Order: sequence, then C-alpha cells, then structure tokens
Amino acid sequence: MNLQIKKALEKAKAKIESTKTVKELEQTYVEIFGKNGLLTQLTKSIKDIKPKDRAKFGQSVNAIKKEIEAALAKKRSSLDVLRSAALIDITAPGKKQQIGHLHLVSQAIEEIVDIFKKLGFSLQSYPEVDWDWYVFESLNIPKDHPARDEWETFLVKSTAKPHYGSLVLTPHTSNGQVREMERVKTPPVRMINIARCYRRQIDVSHTPMFHQFEGMLIDKNVSIGDLKGTFDYFTSRFFGPKRVTRLRPHHFRFTEPSFEVDITCGVCLGHGCRICKAGWLELGGAGMVHPKVLETGKIDSKRYTAFAFGWGIERTIAMKTDIGDIRLLYQNDLRFLEQF
Amino acid sequence: MNMRVPVSWLREYLKTDVAAKTIAQYLTTSGPSVERIEKDGQDLIFDIEVTTNRPDAFSIYGLAREAHAILKSYSQKSQLLTPKGLQTNLRPDTNYQLPVEVIIKDKNLCPRFTAIVIDNVKIKPSPAIIKNRLEKCGIRAINNIVDIANYVMIELGQPMHTFDYDKIKRARMVLRETKAGEKIKTLDGKLRKLPNGAIVIEDGERLIDLCGIMGGKNSAVSSRTKRVVMFVQSYNPTKIRKTTQALAFRTEAAARFEKGVDLEGILPALGRSIFLAKLTAGAKIASELVDIYPSPQKKKPITLSLEKLNKYLGLTIPSSKAQSILTSLGFATTSTAQTITATPPSWRTTDCQIEEDLIEEIARIYGYHNLPSKLPKGQIPDREDSILTRVIELKKSLKFQGLTEILTYSIISRKFLELTETAEKDAVELANPLTEQWQFMRPTLLVSLADVIAKNQNLRPNIKIFEVAKTYEQVESDLPKQDLKLSVALSGASFYDIKGLVENVLEILNLEAKFEKPKQNPLFVKEFSAQIKVGDIEVGVLGLLSHKIRGYFDFKYPAVAAEINLTTLFQLPATRKTYKPVPKYPPVIEDISAIFDQKTTVAEITSSVKKLGDPLVKQVEIIDIYQDPKLGKNKKSVTLRLTYQKPTETPLQEEVTRFKNIIIRELERLFKAQIRK
Repeated sequence: MNLQIKKALEKAKAKIESTKTVKELEQTYVEIFGKNGLLTQLTKSIKDIKPKDRAKFGQSVNAIKKEIEAALAKKRSSLDVLRSAALIDITAPGKKQQIGHLHLVSQAIEEIVDIFKKLGFSLQSYPEVDWDWYVFESLNIPKDHPARDEWETFLVKSTAKPHYGSLVLTPHTSNGQVREMERVKTPPVRMINIARCYRRQIDVSHTPMFHQFEGMLIDKNVSIGDLKGTFDYFTSRFFGPKRVTRLRPHHFRFTEPSFEVDITCGVCLGHGCRICKAGWLELGGAGMVHPKVLETGKIDSKRYTAFAFGWGIERTIAMKTDIGDIRLLYQNDLRFLEQF
Repeated sequence: MNMRVPVSWLREYLKTDVAAKTIAQYLTTSGPSVERIEKDGQDLIFDIEVTTNRPDAFSIYGLAREAHAILKSYSQKSQLLTPKGLQTNLRPDTNYQLPVEVIIKDKNLCPRFTAIVIDNVKIKPSPAIIKNRLEKCGIRAINNIVDIANYVMIELGQPMHTFDYDKIKRARMVLRETKAGEKIKTLDGKLRKLPNGAIVIEDGERLIDLCGIMGGKNSAVSSRTKRVVMFVQSYNPTKIRKTTQALAFRTEAAARFEKGVDLEGILPALGRSIFLAKLTAGAKIASELVDIYPSPQKKKPITLSLEKLNKYLGLTIPSSKAQSILTSLGFATTSTAQTITATPPSWRTTDCQIEEDLIEEIARIYGYHNLPSKLPKGQIPDREDSILTRVIELKKSLKFQGLTEILTYSIISRKFLELTETAEKDAVELANPLTEQWQFMRPTLLVSLADVIAKNQNLRPNIKIFEVAKTYEQVESDLPKQDLKLSVALSGASFYDIKGLVENVLEILNLEAKFEKPKQNPLFVKEFSAQIKVGDIEVGVLGLLSHKIRGYFDFKYPAVAAEINLTTLFQLPATRKTYKPVPKYPPVIEDISAIFDQKTTVAEITSSVKKLGDPLVKQVEIIDIYQDPKLGKNKKSVTLRLTYQKPTETPLQEEVTRFKNIIIRELERLFKAQIRK
C-alpha cells in the first residue's frame, strides 16, 4: 500500500473517531465520500499512477474504502445508542398491547383438562337441562327416593315424556354417565365432562349455579386402586406434590362402593389447623360405578368395571386460593376478575 | 343426615380405652364421618354424618356397633354392650287386661305394628340422665313417658309413639290412608290439611295420629295421663316421604321411617321402652301384646366371588380376613375356595343386596388407605374431544386481544327475559325458582353482559368483556336447544371496533365471515347492526346495543356487542389454506380516492373494482373513509389502495394506467363517483 493511501486511511479514521454526534458524522461522511471527499480525490488520483501499478492501487483504495465504511458504521451505532440512552427511563411503562383475563373457573378447567388428557381422558359435553331419567333414574335413584333430597334440584316447567320423565336443571354432571355409555357402546371409556350445574342454594360456599367436573373410566379390571392412583396423579399436579388424598366411606346410589375424597389441607398439610379442623378438606364424591348403572347404559357389568367421580370447580378454586366466599366468582367485578 | 352423639352415651355401649378423638378418626376413615367434635361440659359431642343408606347407624347403639367393628380392624380392644331391657317380658303384669282393637286396612302401609298398654303410670320429669342426654342431642325433654319415645328413637334408631289410652275412643285403632280433605291437629298444635295417601290412625271417632310423622294433639300424653299405649311400628317409606313432601313438614321420626327401619328391631325397641317405663314411671303392662307382622323379613344370603373382590380391591385379601370383617359387622358367613356367602343382619337387609355391597363393607373396614394406588392400565380410547377443547383456545385468543372473561348466571329474571322480547312460552322456565332473580334459562347472554357493563362502568369508559355459555330455547316435547354461544361486549366503542373483533375471531378460527343486513333483533339498533354469516350459514349478530338496553341499564357510554353461535360455528369446515407462489416481481401500488353516495357500500365498490381490475389488480384495500359536509350532502370519500402485480415482471406503467382508467370510468358510470385528483 502506498503512502498516499495509508495517509488517507489514517486521516479518515481520525475524522470518524473525533465526531461526537450523528450530525457531525454525516458531515464526516461527506468529507470522505462526497464529491470532493478524501476518498473521491484518492480515486481520481488514479490517473497519476503508472499504468502497471493502477490495478494494485485500485485494489488498495477499495480495501480502505471498506475499512472506512466499517468504521463509520461502528461509530454510527455507538452514537445511536448514546443518543437514546440519554433519553430513556427504563422504569417508564413500555408500549404494551392490552391483555385481558380469563375467569378463574376457566383457568381451573384448562388445568384439569390438561392433566386428565395426559391419562387419555377426553373432554365431552352433555346437556345442562336434561331429562329426569338421565339425571336420576338411570343413576339408580328412583322417583320418591330420599336420596333425591341431596340434590336441591331446580325443576323445569314441562310436560313429562314417557320413559324420560320431566326436565330438570342438572344438579350434577353425572347425567353424562349413561349418555356416554350409550354413545360409546363398547369400552374402554375415559371421559371427563365439565358443565354448569344448578342447585337451589346460596351461601358462602354455594352459588345456585356452579361448575362440576365428572370423570368416568370403564374398562376390564378397573379397581379402587386405579381410582386412588388417578386421584393422586391429579391432586399432586393440580394442588402440588405435598398434598395427598384419602378415600372415606360414603354413599351414592350410582356407585358401590362410594367414597368422599378428601385432600390434605394446604395450610397445615394434614396436621390439623384452624381452617380445616382435622387436617382434611372435602374435595368431592367418587365410587365404583354401580352395576345397575352400567347395565342401564348397556355395558356388561360382568365384563367391565368402572369408576366415576365428580366435584365442584369453584370448591377446588376456593381450596387453592384464599377466596373464602365463592359468590365472589359470580359478582363480575372487574377489579376482582383482573387480579387473575 | 347428621346426628349429635354424646360420647358418654356412646361409651355406655362401646366399652374401650381408646380416646374419643381416635374413635372419631377411625370412624371417619372406615365408617360414618365425624364432622365436628364439640365440648359440652365434661362430655364431648360428635357431630356425625350418617349416609341415607344406613338408618341402622343413625342411632347411638348403631354407631357403637359400627365403631366396635371398626376398632377391631384397627387392632383396638373394645366390647359392645347391649342396652338393658331389649328382651323384656311383654306378658301382662296385671290380672286385668285392657282391650285394644287394631284394624290395618292395607298391610302394605304398615309392615309391622306393635302396641301394648301400660297402666299405673306416674307422669313426672324424666331422670336427669335421660333429660341431659336428650338435650345434648337437641331434643327438649317433656315428661318421663314422652321422653322415653324420643330416647329410644335416638338410642336404637326406632321411632315410636305414646298415646293416652283413655283418649282413644272405644279403644279402637284403625290404620288407613287418608281420604280427600281430612285434617288433623298435630302435637305441635298445628291444624294440618292432609294430602291423599297419608297414613293415619282413626279411633272410634276421629283421627288421632299422623303416622310416622307426628301424633295427634287429641290423644297426647299429658300430666294427668294414667294409662298409655306404647306404640312401635314401621311404615311404607315411600308413603311417609310423599306425605312429608306434600306437607313440607319433616320430623326426626319421619326422617327415619322414610329410610326404612329394621323390622326385627321393633320388638326389642318396645321391650326397651317398657323397661324404661317401669323404671321411671312405675308402669305395669296391662294388655296383651299386639304384634301384627304378616310377612316377616326374609334373610337374603349374598354370594361374593373372591376373584371379583380382589379385582375390585386391586390386591389379594385372604378369605378368612374378609369373612372376619363381615362377621364383625353382624353378617353370618360361609365359604368355599372361590366364594364367601354372607347373610346380612336384620338391620342391613335393605342396604346390602348385591356382591358390590359386600365388597364395600370389606374394603372400608380393611381400610381404603391400605389399598394400592396405581394409574389405570389398559388401552387409551380413541375418542375425539368435544368442542369445549376448542373453546379453551378461543377464550385465550380473546384474552390476548384485551378482553376479560366474565361468568354470569344462566338463570335470569322475568325482567331480563322481557328485554330479549322472548315469549315466555318459548323460554325454559323453572317450576321451583329460588327467587325472582332466577326464573328463566336465558336465550341469550347479551343481557347479562349489558348488566356487567353497567355494574362496572364507573371504573372506566372502555370495558371489554366476553362470556361463553350455553343458551336455552324451548323445543316442543324434546330437550331444549342448548347451543354454546360466545358473547362479546365493548363499552365506549364503535360498530367498527366490534366488527373488527369479530373478524379477528373468525380469522383465528380460519373462517371467512360475511356481514349482511340484520334481521329484527330487539337488542340492537337496526341501522348499526349486522348479521354474521359464514358461507350461507348465519352464525351470529353484532352491532350497537339498543336504546332500550342502554336505557334500562343506564349506560354512561354506548356499547357494542356480538353474539356468535359456537355450536354452529365449530361444525363448519375451516377454510383450507393453499400455497400460492410468493411474487417474484414487485407490484405497483396506487391509490384511487373518490366521492360516493353514502348509500354505496364499500363491499359493492371493492367487488366491482376487483372484477374490473382482473387479472392485473391483485388486491383492493379500503384505506380511508370519511364524511364531511364539504363533500356534499350524503356523500362520503373513499380511498382505495390497488395492488397491480404480475407473476412474470413488474407491470409497465402503461398497463397500470389502462386498468386504472377503466376502473375510474366504471366507478363514475356505476356509482356516479367523483374521482378526487
């Protein structure tokens, strides 16, 4: 590289280095690459070079041209950064897209569905206004049976239909049991059914409408152990690995044996505290599907056994969060909904 | 059903050193749940939930029996003592015998009827122990005879009644069903008009007992009573239940009778009551025992396959262990190598009838906590999820567009229904509403959303909410139509805001929406609303909420809303996306601005331009619409952005101009448009 070129490079670099603002840099650019710029002059001077050296000269000029451009770009980006750094306050709010909120019930439903999906359960949907037959009779609860008292059922003004009876608002999701059996016909069945349910009651732990989710598994050789395992799988994922469940004897007409499922209190983890009394909170009901119910659904109860369970979503939310009064979930105060 | 159980009373029959708290814990784990333990002076009270299938355990003695079996399985020592007097000799004590004539009109009403007369009764307060125990159980003590009836009911689970013998006219008792319009004044002093089919007892002249529920005032034991009929029965449970429902009146006795009582326990209960009457009132038996028991309870053995038992439990339990559990619960058992045959005790005959019932007994006493916990094996069914899975995704997409999900009750008031202008006969109406607030199943979610906007409008002008829920429409003699709908409402927003949102939603779902003139809908302003269609199928409606809604809810800001039928929408095939080569040559983009009549829709304009521009014009966008009086009356300015593009080269300016001139000429001709330069 000849001296002339070397000097031009050094001069250009010095100029670039000494600039302090983007505006100055633009000026520098003109001084180098402009009509009478440093590099333009250099290029023009090629005519003074001996023809045999011209090619080499040209290559050298191109090389420093690249080098200068790189230096300019580097300087420009450092000046840009400096310029904006002087102006931003990183604690000031960014420009966000507005994001809304899902209701706690939906959030819980999504979590539950995801957990049971991993075990091969599919999400199904059944009527929320249904025939007495699917809600009670098919579940081994005949008319005038005292067991009906456990569900404070809303009745619909309707004319009774032969065999199916009158219409009711489903007080539980178990109307899906025989409906699912009728639909699938041949086990295995692994279904969950989440729906709005209705009961004639309102207080801190009851709203006249609530969500229940129901699970049912029909297969050969289904045991109480399978039910326990399924619950343990669910609770450790939904409530966390420290919580455990237990089955307690209970009675439902459509399961035999029947259980209440308890979970250790989240505060004391089963030792007993002010909130839970004896260390356990009631989660929901479960049991091995009564052979009569299987037969009603035309499933051979000699070949297949099944378990089923159901419980209120709002209740699980109350147990997972600090919401003491579940009516809050239905007041639709945005200041509440936007917390989640 | 819950029962208050004084631990001191329980311990009278359950002799054990085990602490009360431990007994409670074991009972809860393997039997009836002890829900609370209360202190009552020196005593403790268990609040126990007894399930409806176990009326036998709805008593102090029944619970002692249950606890005894359970303690044994936990290797705790205990002893079960029987109450005194169960085997009392019921032969007359006097040399005279008072007559009682009993006629049962229909033996289905009363499977067993027992009665006996006692004389020489001295009415006085009960001994302190009886009084205290009753009061701990929440029952007011009255006098020594009346208290015996309550005491025996709590202790043995067998309700009973006492009559003043001298008030029974002609010593005659006719048990029958009521006829229309009959009345009785019950012990609580209330005159009750009885439904048909109630079971009653009539003496020589009048009704003296509303059987199984409450006795008649006219035959009650009083302080002057000398002679008493001690009366222990069972009744047809369904009849008792129907009557309590018709009267909306349930007593402790009725709650037990409607679940069925142990027929073999009736005589011991009568014996116990006579024992107590002799002890506390100096009574003497003064009649023959009346015991009408036409069809004695049959013993029904159940055979359980051990294979089935072990399948249910998920482990192998020795036959001897299973049998010893059943024996501890009062079952008589025999066995073979493959089976156990168990005969339930008299107090469990209605409850235990099938193999699964025995499995439950063995499993719970063995301890559910001792059973394995494992994930189900077996094949995973090949089943499609319902549309609810897609709803979860849809909800999330709305959340990320800034909307907040609300949850409102599906049951609405008559007033809300009126706002939707749905005829009551088309709505799903509750026959037994809880309050006026909740009477109808809603045909639309929109009114509820409007309500939520009103409730929150003081927080901020711009509220963006949505809900997904079923709606309900009456269908003649079939299930109501229960379509899943998405409703969205935006306050302080315009028609185009809600339209844009709906367009986004349909785009997310891969569907192409069309918007057409709305049908009549009382919830929207006609001129500011549209029906939403996909292909030829109507899927919803959107627009500005009507003045009526705005007025009723007192909106501070106008609100727009949309309701989309997801049941319909999710059945539609999604538009299939096909590959088109990415253009290699840049397009020419030019705008055309023109003034149109306000009535001319941009849909008409774009569709004409597309047709005229084919094949050079690849895209027509509306980039600006505005109205200004300066443009002229009922005029609007529309700016179209046209993309001219060719797959083989960049279009030449001459080609573009040629198409552009055709378009401009036709816009002028078709729409009388004035092109703005």
